[in-house]
Amino acid sequence: MPTIAVDAMGGDFAPEEVVKGVAQASLETDIQCTLVGDEAQIQAALDRVPYNPEHIAVHHTPDFISMEDDPKRGLRQKRNASVLVAARLVSEGQADAVVTAGNTGAAVLACAQQFRTIPGVQKAALASVYPRQTEYPGQDQLALLLDVGATIRCEATELVQFALMGSAYARHISKVPSPRIALLNMGVEETKGGDILVSAHRRLKTVGGVNFVGNIEGNDLAKGKADVIVCEGFLGNVVLKLLEGLAEVVVDLAGTARRENWRWKLGFFVLANSFGRLRDLTDYTAYGGAPILGFEHLMIKSHGRSNARAINNAIKVAAKAVRDGVTREIAAAIERL
Amino acid sequence: MALRRSKQRRRAPLHPIIFRWDLDKTYLKSEFDSLRQLMWVPFEKAQDKVAVPGVVPLITGLRETATQAGREVRVHFMSASPPQIAKAIKQKLALDGIEYDGIVFKNQLQHLVRGRFRNLREQVGFKLTELLKSRSDIPAGSREMLFGDDWESDPIIYSLYADILAGRIASDELGDVLRTIGVDPRLIAEAQERAAVARRGEAVEKIYINLERRTPPTTFRCFGPRLVPTFNYFQTAACLFADGYLMLPAVVRVAEAMVQDAGYTPGSLANSLADIARRGHLQAATTIGVREYLRAHALMPQSGRRSIRVALWQRLKPWLGRTPVRPSPQADAIDYHALVAHWRAAR
Repeated sequence: MPTIAVDAMGGDFAPEEVVKGVAQASLETDIQCTLVGDEAQIQAALDRVPYNPEHIAVHHTPDFISMEDDPKRGLRQKRNASVLVAARLVSEGQADAVVTAGNTGAAVLACAQQFRTIPGVQKAALASVYPRQTEYPGQDQLALLLDVGATIRCEATELVQFALMGSAYARHISKVPSPRIALLNMGVEETKGGDILVSAHRRLKTVGGVNFVGNIEGNDLAKGKADVIVCEGFLGNVVLKLLEGLAEVVVDLAGTARRENWRWKLGFFVLANSFGRLRDLTDYTAYGGAPILGFEHLMIKSHGRSNARAINNAIKVAAKAVRDGVTREIAAAIERL
Repeated sequence: MALRRSKQRRRAPLHPIIFRWDLDKTYLKSEFDSLRQLMWVPFEKAQDKVAVPGVVPLITGLRETATQAGREVRVHFMSASPPQIAKAIKQKLALDGIEYDGIVFKNQLQHLVRGRFRNLREQVGFKLTELLKSRSDIPAGSREMLFGDDWESDPIIYSLYADILAGRIASDELGDVLRTIGVDPRLIAEAQERAAVARRGEAVEKIYINLERRTPPTTFRCFGPRLVPTFNYFQTAACLFADGYLMLPAVVRVAEAMVQDAGYTPGSLANSLADIARRGHLQAATTIGVREYLRAHALMPQSGRRSIRVALWQRLKPWLGRTPVRPSPQADAIDYHALVAHWRAAR
């Protein structure tokens, strides 16, 4: 059984929700979890919930990087920050993967400090998942978008590598035998988007083992036309934040409308079932987190507002990725490139 | 002078020790979570019954340790199951090689015939009166260790029993508490009578509750430090070693049985030991002692590839007082009315 190092102090609701998530995983699975963080706080949180101690170890460290901390300075000053120690446990062979809901910048830097990049990989990528329309029954409701912030600008080779990494991950975690890969661009024509995107498009068409479906525009992102969308970090981050912001605005508008008019309130009541389905679709707790890809070891980054369910699912995703040898598969794909 | 006092203390006879065990979910891994499973229980043969991992070497080890120390030892079992299944249970104990000095069953058929339906499910009155009854038959000054589980009311029953013997609960208060719980008035009267004549003394040393349902440990804080909730019998064995009731080879046998019969691994044993230590039931030195001894028997993981600084910190940490140690069992009065209300709410 894989051992997952969990950053107990990372996230808006840490350590309570993180510990609760680990406790749930300890009862539901045989996955071994090592909670990294303040031992006294971790045990106090554990004492309040049902758990299986046989599957949980605690690794004490007093420091952590908060969501507001500057990641670079924070990691420089706190050499025993929980996310860094969790990554160190993996690099030392005491754990197989990391799960954190903490500061994203610190998570990426911790990987960079503690993990070696896969030979041939030029840049690591931070992935994220977002809800999209499904085209056929049983299709995964989430698409993988990478990179969403580990890089700023990328070369064509790096985009091709992101495509390979995303493809390998989606094959195992989203259970899509041949994930459709698309490049996020300003037009579907292969000549659009400047030299880098044109070059990446040309190369992806010829790379074996990748189901490349061409370019995809912003308005098609949510339509389910691709399972893995590749872009440079700057663009990916803007897209991700835009999607999150839109979702918040919609929820906010709906709430305001419901309060202001009794007819709208009645309409909401009638549509309650549909709203419930929409909520389920956009429920980030169901998928747990998304990976930081390109390193020899895996880190799953969960949403900062992750609750116990999200952490539990992130642990299961991490364990599955370890069991299926996702990083090994990525390494093999990069070697073939 | 000090030496002479020490020798005198060593020569003083040790009090007899009684280990009382609940049967279902404490000794036996009884499955009666559904009506179907419950109906199947009377038809189970001895060889079908499964003991909780580690319990057999634990009981054997407790008897051995006490005997070697020249201490009179008794093992008693108590079950809320009907006497009709006594044969299978006694055969099971014989199969496991468990020597026992007493076993009590609940005559459910009698309650059924007499129309006392409330008594069928209610265990507090039955178990408490049986414990008090049994107390009059054992040597004066005997100490007791009680073992139960988190399925029904063992924590309340055992705590009440301990406090009755210690004289911390008056007859009227006992009656009130039992009435609140819903005990049959006849059993309340019997419990009060037996409590009145019970020999007084701090007889119950510890109460071990097997967290079979994985009840959160904080649920048991209100019972005081005398009650120790444990997730498996390796944790129980480590605590009993710390209290001098078990020797390290016996702890090893418990761990070995759990590895062989129930798929425990050195890693899961290490996690269990660390958990009970973090919960403050083991001193740091004891934890290290148990860990190193088991490591020598390949029952704990060997030190992994760690930086010297991390290894040093892990070694020093317990000595620096980071691990909280719960106070030793003391005669703190428990507010049973509040406790019963809290216990019911928590469940």
